[in-house]
Amino acid sequence: MNKASIVVIGAGISGLSAAYNLAKRGLKDIVVIDKAYITSGSTGRCGAGVRQQWGTALNCILAKKSIDFFMHAKEDLGYEKDIEFKQEGYLILSTSEAEDKVFDKNVQLQNSIGIPSQRLTVEEALKIVPHLNPNAFTSASFCKTDGHINPFLMSEAYYLAAKKLGVTFYFFEEVTEIIVKDKSIEKVITDKRVIYTDKVVNAAGGFAREVGEMAGVEIPVFSENHEILVTEPTKQMQGPMVMSFSKNIYCQQVPHGSFLMGRSNPKALHDHDISSSWQFLDEMAKTVCNILPKVGQLRVIRTWGGSYNISPDHQPFISDTEQLNGYFMACGYSGHGFMFAPITGELITEMVFGDKLEDYAKDLNIKRLDDKNFTDFEQSVV
Amino acid sequence: MDKFDLVIIGGGPAGLSAARIALEAGLSVTLIDRSISLGGQLIKQTHKFFGSKAQYAKTRGIDIANILINDLDEYKDRLHILKEATVVALYKDYVITVYQFNKYFKIQAKSIIVATGASEKVLAFENNDLPGIYGAGAVQTLMNLYGVLPGKEVVMVGSGNIGLIVSYQMIQAGVKVKALLEASDHIGGYLVHASKLVRLGVPILTRTTVKKAYGKNKLEKIQTVELDEQWNYIEGTETEISCDALCISVGLTPLHQLLSMAEIDMIYVNELGGLIPKLKKNYETSMPRVFACGDVTGIEEASSAMVEGKLAGLLASKSLGFIHPEFELLEKNLVEQLNNLRQGPCGVKIRLGLEKAEVNSHD
Repeated sequence: MNKASIVVIGAGISGLSAAYNLAKRGLKDIVVIDKAYITSGSTGRCGAGVRQQWGTALNCILAKKSIDFFMHAKEDLGYEKDIEFKQEGYLILSTSEAEDKVFDKNVQLQNSIGIPSQRLTVEEALKIVPHLNPNAFTSASFCKTDGHINPFLMSEAYYLAAKKLGVTFYFFEEVTEIIVKDKSIEKVITDKRVIYTDKVVNAAGGFAREVGEMAGVEIPVFSENHEILVTEPTKQMQGPMVMSFSKNIYCQQVPHGSFLMGRSNPKALHDHDISSSWQFLDEMAKTVCNILPKVGQLRVIRTWGGSYNISPDHQPFISDTEQLNGYFMACGYSGHGFMFAPITGELITEMVFGDKLEDYAKDLNIKRLDDKNFTDFEQSVV
Repeated sequence: MDKFDLVIIGGGPAGLSAARIALEAGLSVTLIDRSISLGGQLIKQTHKFFGSKAQYAKTRGIDIANILINDLDEYKDRLHILKEATVVALYKDYVITVYQFNKYFKIQAKSIIVATGASEKVLAFENNDLPGIYGAGAVQTLMNLYGVLPGKEVVMVGSGNIGLIVSYQMIQAGVKVKALLEASDHIGGYLVHASKLVRLGVPILTRTTVKKAYGKNKLEKIQTVELDEQWNYIEGTETEISCDALCISVGLTPLHQLLSMAEIDMIYVNELGGLIPKLKKNYETSMPRVFACGDVTGIEEASSAMVEGKLAGLLASKSLGFIHPEFELLEKNLVEQLNNLRQGPCGVKIRLGLEKAEVNSHD
């Protein structure tokens, strides 16, 4: 009979980090199931940025703890290759007086948590990214410890480390049912086998709501297509990720020389569409030509889409639930699951082992939605 | 955004044939091709075709291309040709984006025939990116179109018809073909071509492949190895051959990318070279009013591509409300031609593959 101490659904970065951390803590018989393969979902489609400049304390803490891990991830995970952590910062542009004020407040919050971000004038920003259009923004904020990591290599690093610790992976296998009895999990059924277990981690990314419904757990998240493009490679010319919430753009040069850039579509439907549109290419080109005219001269190699799994307040659920014993979820990252993966795995492990959580982590619980006093809403997103 | 009734992507044998029939049926046609001249791969084929009169047997590929191109002349008024224009994307809302003369632009089509053809497969071995290592089709283009020799001493990998014909053409052009390697235990192409090579002293080594290439800035020699019945290397059988060019002719794979991008239902069919669209009998894909024909629907000969192009043009026109004046006669005749081309032992793989990709409806 097929038994597991816990079944992790989804081998994206969150599921991989959860499995690795659980195994490191000593848990045996961990099974990870993915309907495709590692990085085939949102992780492999993401913008590959890691930042700590957020507008809510919760997101700031999650980001900082994750960056702390990324800095020695290669050694901790015993990974032979380089994860391509390019720690040259995020430069976030403000385009109005109102946004200037928000940035003042954000940087104050970030500094109070120990994040070394700072406010910059247009002139100071131009020193860091000389090819910025000085007329396109009014001021900026900058954090030099933010940066870029290759999601494919980072996923492989977690995957190999988890495998070494004895985690079992089933790829190209889809979970079809989660059987529940008396508020407890009895078994997980896939298209290939039945696995008896009393614990499940929902790390299903874009399909988190559906994997909740399978167990009768209601998770108020939805998925939305966010498109992205990559250019031909060119000589190294841009250190930090350049980002603007008001202009709707993020744009980063990755180590092999290509630029990655994306923007959100305000008209995107709530569904699992991940196709490309010509409208994205048009709008993206206009935006980047305005802010980074030199980057606008590069040729586009490819465009693609991926699911943001969005929560009501743009902050994740890393949570157990009163709805069902043994059911844990890591979802609703609202586009930022890759950069929060290290802390995700650590927190899920603490929850599974019944540890007392740090204070901040209680706000990651899905119960926060019922709390009328909880009104923090993350606005610093593209 | 300019709007067009029927856009044909690809001006090779399939696309040109489809264009002619659609024009005869009364449609306005926009034909887009990325090359400087229409004709697709026909224009580098200086050899005479086999087969029957209906598919221009005994005529050289380059001459067939000219016949197909000239056949469009009388419909100039309804035909719009974009050359040196690369279709970069096909979207679900029938928008086609094009890159031409350093400009990117969008057009919208009411209906589309995708006839993008195929690309050459590559082989994985150490140093396979050294200058001097070519696809056989690339060598054909280099020699027959541009008059440039690939090297002085060449080894060919693959004994399909392309590998055999290109080897012969290289010898005609003064290149020494040192050996022809074939991984399987028998010659893949017509024996009449292979016999010519053997008579000219080219050793044909079956159950042998290339393992490694050597060279500082360009190819200097290769290491070959024999294969067992499971296609594994037999250790100790490695041999070196010095050469300044290596020609890889291990088959073609459909250029499916535009169809895949539009999320059209695809199926991987090994017998036909890779990913191909699921097709209804009228060549319609799962995206309404988007049709496909020629090598993009499975690798066959140029002769089949021409007949398939005509048939797709005929049936696509009909489903768009333009019935060809000789519809019934043509349909019967073209279906017969295709069946003839695919009959016999050489057509087994093709018949098997096509069966897998055919659907009655796209529901």
